[in-house]
Amino acid sequence: MKAPVVEIRSLRVRRGGRTVLQVERLDVVEGEVVVVLGPNGAGKSTLLKCALGFTRPNSGEFRVLGHPVWPSHPPLCALRRRIGYVPQMLAAHSEMPLTVREVAAIGRTGIAGLFRRLTSSDWSIIDDWLERLGLADLAGQAYASLSSGEQRKTLIAKAMVQQPEMLLLDEPTANLDLFRREQIVELLGRLYAETGLTILLVCHELEAVPPCCRRLLVLRDGRLIADGPPEDVLTRQMVENLYGSRLRLFATDRRYAAVPVGEATP
Amino acid sequence: MDLIFWAPVVCCGALAGASTGFLGTYIIGMRIPFLGICVSHAALAGAVFGGLCGLTGPMLLPPALAGAVIAALLLGTLDPQSARVDSNVLMGILFSLTMGLAFLGLGLYGVYGISDNEVRSLLWGSLNFCRWSDFYIMAAAAVLEIVVVAAFYKELRAILFSRVHAAAAGVPVVPVWTAFLILTSVVLTVNFQTVGGLMIYSLLTNPAVAAFLLVKGYGRALALSALFGLLSGLGGFLLAAATDLPTGAMIVILSSLLVGLAWAISGLRRRAGH
Repeated sequence: MKAPVVEIRSLRVRRGGRTVLQVERLDVVEGEVVVVLGPNGAGKSTLLKCALGFTRPNSGEFRVLGHPVWPSHPPLCALRRRIGYVPQMLAAHSEMPLTVREVAAIGRTGIAGLFRRLTSSDWSIIDDWLERLGLADLAGQAYASLSSGEQRKTLIAKAMVQQPEMLLLDEPTANLDLFRREQIVELLGRLYAETGLTILLVCHELEAVPPCCRRLLVLRDGRLIADGPPEDVLTRQMVENLYGSRLRLFATDRRYAAVPVGEATP
Repeated sequence: MDLIFWAPVVCCGALAGASTGFLGTYIIGMRIPFLGICVSHAALAGAVFGGLCGLTGPMLLPPALAGAVIAALLLGTLDPQSARVDSNVLMGILFSLTMGLAFLGLGLYGVYGISDNEVRSLLWGSLNFCRWSDFYIMAAAAVLEIVVVAAFYKELRAILFSRVHAAAAGVPVVPVWTAFLILTSVVLTVNFQTVGGLMIYSLLTNPAVAAFLLVKGYGRALALSALFGLLSGLGGFLLAAATDLPTGAMIVILSSLLVGLAWAISGLRRRAGH
């Protein structure tokens, strides 16, 4: 039996006088690729922030990698080192022209520990991931000078150099053009095939669901309204329920899209 | 030129430029220039109230340091998310508060009939009157700066990029950030006494901006920013001595010229396709 990676029991998060996330029970096991789908404000990012201890639930239990996040045992820093995280927004660029290699090295910083330099083995892990993600030629470039897609890949490299036990991705294809979105979706499939890593991906676009996803959760108004294989969950009714009746579901080869319905010509 | 008199002045100017330029790499890198101005005015407020309590000369340093550390820690512990305001806005609020306290204190000097010349000079600095004793204090602050940066070199690089990314990667952001804020308070307060509250802002900003325009990478930017700061401090003094113009103004103008030059070089490089 596979070990549980995420265990949620009676979780409730309230912010600004309203419940932003309420999940009675949710388990994600080792090696699963789980996509959390839902419109803006559904509580998807809050779910990831709870997993990392950035957001404190008002009640309930949230266990990650077998440990409670609040109160955290071991300390949050130690738990976070085992989780790769690619946040929703691209980091507000530091004015400092950090190179791609230096940004990826952030992922090894916590693991190396205080008062210790990154070792040659740390740097070889960093260089290896830059190579695997096709960023080796850009390693010496300033991060701020990269395209959005290359920046996103750099942040994925930063998460992967942690050699995490779980990867959390918050809208990894947001603000990318179609070509770059497809590159990221393809990359996630490749990452999963190579590592077998547990992936928890949050998105609001059906097009961002990678073919390797075997389980789809749907959040709406902070509540889990569906949980199952994408082909079962993604029905025409579900798409209408989430995004309105002006979108039609299109599915092929484990890829999904919501296509706008044109107006009938007279 | 009387070398015995001017040698500590030159050394203080060069050291103030180098250590403030070095620190500026972080402050400008994190886009929080208000932190510098906020902390230095908190130091001024501390010195003003220290003066009101009868302290003079080097004894103004402890209350100035206390004011700066309190302001820096306040900024470090306030969470912009829970306060629902941008961190630069928080700094703006704290800056106006510390400025108000400093002017309130200066007003009280008049009420109690005490001369405020000494604390007023802190606004402009007194580089031309620096002695070796001042240099030793500044050197101690510079050593502390090197020790803290060396100890947290990689953690500060992560925080420079983004505090959220650093925390998510398991970097202990709170202790490192707090250590950095205390370091900022010490370096700015010590240098503020000699170069003045206004000039320190240009030394904090200009060398770092010039370095960022010319090089890529953390270590190079730190080294070049410190070098530009040193050149501004030293060159500004030499220019002032040669032209008989105010030292502070020359340092500010020289450091601004360095930014202009760096801008021109980076523009030429871009055109050349680098």
